[in-house]
Amino acid sequence: MSKIVVENVKIIKKKSLGRGNFIFEMAPFSKTKSIKPGQFVHIRQPRTNLLFRRAFSVYDFDAANRTLSIIFKVFGRGTSLMAKLERGAALDVMGPLGNGFKYPSKRKTVILAAGGIGMPPLYLLAKTLLSRGYDPDRILYFYGGSSKADLVDISRIKKLGIRVYPSTDDGSYGFKGFVTDAITDNVDLTNGKHHLYGCGPEGMLKALDELALSKNLPGQLSLEAPMPCGIGICLGCIKPLRAGGYTRICREGPVYDVGEVLL
Amino acid sequence: MRPDLSIEIAGVKFSNPILTASGTCGYGEELAEVFNLSRLGGIVTKSITVLPREGHPPPRTAETEAGMLNAIGLANVGVDRFIEDKLTFLEKYNTVVVVNVAGAKLSEYVEISKRLADCPRADMVELNFSCPNVEAGMEIARDPELAEKAVGEVKKVFPRPVIAKLSPNVSDIALIARACESGGADALAVINTLVGMAVNIETFRPRLTNNTGGLSGPAIKPVALAKVNQVYNAVKIPIIGIGGIMNWVDVVEFFLCGACAVQVGTGLFVEPDAPIKIIEGLRKYLSSNKFSSVRELTGKLRKY
Ligand SMILES: Cc1cc2nc3c(=O)[nH]c(=O)nc-3n(C[C@H](O)[C@H](O)[C@H](O)COP(=O)(O)OP(=O)(O)OC[C@H]3O[C@@H](n4cnc5c(N)ncnc54)[C@H](O)[C@@H]3O)c2cc1C
Ligand SMILES: Cc1cc2nc3c(=O)[nH]c(=O)nc-3n(C[C@H](O)[C@H](O)[C@H](O)COP(=O)(O)O)c2cc1C
Repeated sequence: MSKIVVENVKIIKKKSLGRGNFIFEMAPFSKTKSIKPGQFVHIRQPRTNLLFRRAFSVYDFDAANRTLSIIFKVFGRGTSLMAKLERGAALDVMGPLGNGFKYPSKRKTVILAAGGIGMPPLYLLAKTLLSRGYDPDRILYFYGGSSKADLVDISRIKKLGIRVYPSTDDGSYGFKGFVTDAITDNVDLTNGKHHLYGCGPEGMLKALDELALSKNLPGQLSLEAPMPCGIGICLGCIKPLRAGGYTRICREGPVYDVGEVLL
Repeated sequence: MRPDLSIEIAGVKFSNPILTASGTCGYGEELAEVFNLSRLGGIVTKSITVLPREGHPPPRTAETEAGMLNAIGLANVGVDRFIEDKLTFLEKYNTVVVVNVAGAKLSEYVEISKRLADCPRADMVELNFSCPNVEAGMEIARDPELAEKAVGEVKKVFPRPVIAKLSPNVSDIALIARACESGGADALAVINTLVGMAVNIETFRPRLTNNTGGLSGPAIKPVALAKVNQVYNAVKIPIIGIGGIMNWVDVVEFFLCGACAVQVGTGLFVEPDAPIKIIEGLRKYLSSNKFSSVRELTGKLRKY
């Protein structure tokens, strides 16, 4: 039985990435041994009147230095307060939670499709695949946003040495159009050699799901839903399954096979 | 001397007075990954119904000021799977198992309780009277006669103690409390959630697909304390206090108002190990104030 742990950590590095996006590096994660790409942490800010924690995908984890990073975008009350925190501030972090991504066969070419703040878990996936010996030339990272400034921390993805395909809705950088169009424009999906991973806004996930189903492309998508407890006891963060019934994003997810969830 | 945290309700012994509330701890499986369930005084399982239910479509929870609204819609595995899978999981823990029962008709409460009568692991049942009753056209919790009858019928088929869980959404909770006591209830659980609504001003829609939901969390604690005290003055049977408990101070407040045990609900969503911290805090409070037993606190409120 896995153990759910809570760590009391400090922000050791904070950086603004523009457009209301921030990166937090936190430490020390003394109880956490390893983290799978696609897992998330549930963060509580002490001394605020927010009741619930907020969920963030793990962007990076350094087991040797016991540091964990997230990228977050200011969205509502909780993330606005988080943006005001400075280096040295304490946070109460529960996790890692959720299932994480399954790794593809090494014979496959991996397509990572990130939209906006869906970038962090796919960065960690790319990094982990490289450390497991996957060919960097066969990891294609499609990163889409409304415009250039929304492609936050893209330089870090490029440093991995994988193939990066930026796209923007307004054409200010890279391919002009949606991530799904950037994919079909650059990759021949008919040869059965690809494996898709996606994370991003709901509309993009729906488009990726449809694309994958129509091209018979295997893959996994990481989903989001307002999430009170994060450990499966409140039954709040649910989505309908195609096969009927609901699934808890925090517990059975947040990563699902293409076609599994009704988006 | 180490203070005694144990309590007894209708002959059932609890190692401490901290229980987890129905609908906020599932059937214990997830919390068992956070702490050893044997450390709890008791666990109250999610309301079960005759047939499995998926519950309402999302969104069915919303965060509010110091609280939350929920309209989960009694999502549960149904009594058959509950007995097969969930009760057997709880078998290995040394804690009191209270099975919360819900129904759309009085006969459903009786049917489920009858099934549970043959399951010794179901130490007690707790009757959730805050769901719409199709025969009465309102919740049992709002109708003293029906509540008395329902408790009486369940008592006939379930040989162990029966707890009636009361709703705060009534004009006189003492009236319902006395009715449940007359019906033979062994204890009362006070309170369930308060009806509330949250609104999205961009879409003009309620934040829950069910339109209204049940308010819980710190926001309802003052209401819960007042109801516990009102019920304490109206009945002789033990009261289990519920509503917005986050820490041991809250627990002491509930005890002073008349509770002999408490349930932690929404607090688990914030800190899943809250019950453990509460037990430790309570023990320290008792020893530094020279109480030999937690039982000494019940009803000690010095009212003006
Ligand atoms: C598994 C998972 C991973 C995530 N990873 C990231 C990430 O890496 N970076 C990032 O910026 N954001 C991420 N999010 C989204 C992030 O959790 C929300 O943006 C955040 O909770 C909003 O909080 P708020 O207080 O600012 O907004 P408010 O609207 O004020 O929050 C109100 C309530 O709604 C919940 N809520 C509202 N929208 C969402 C949403 N889309 N997802 C989850 N909860 C929501 C909050 O938890 C809170 O309970 C992730 C969400 C999930 C479920
Ligand atoms: C998400 C959620 C689900 C709940 N489900 C049930 C339920 O199935 N049956 C029941 O009797 N009470 C249910 N409750 C009510 C709680 O058991 C408790 O009475 C109430 O939430 C007040 O306590 P709290 O403020 O500590 O949460 C639920 C509460 C919440 C928040």
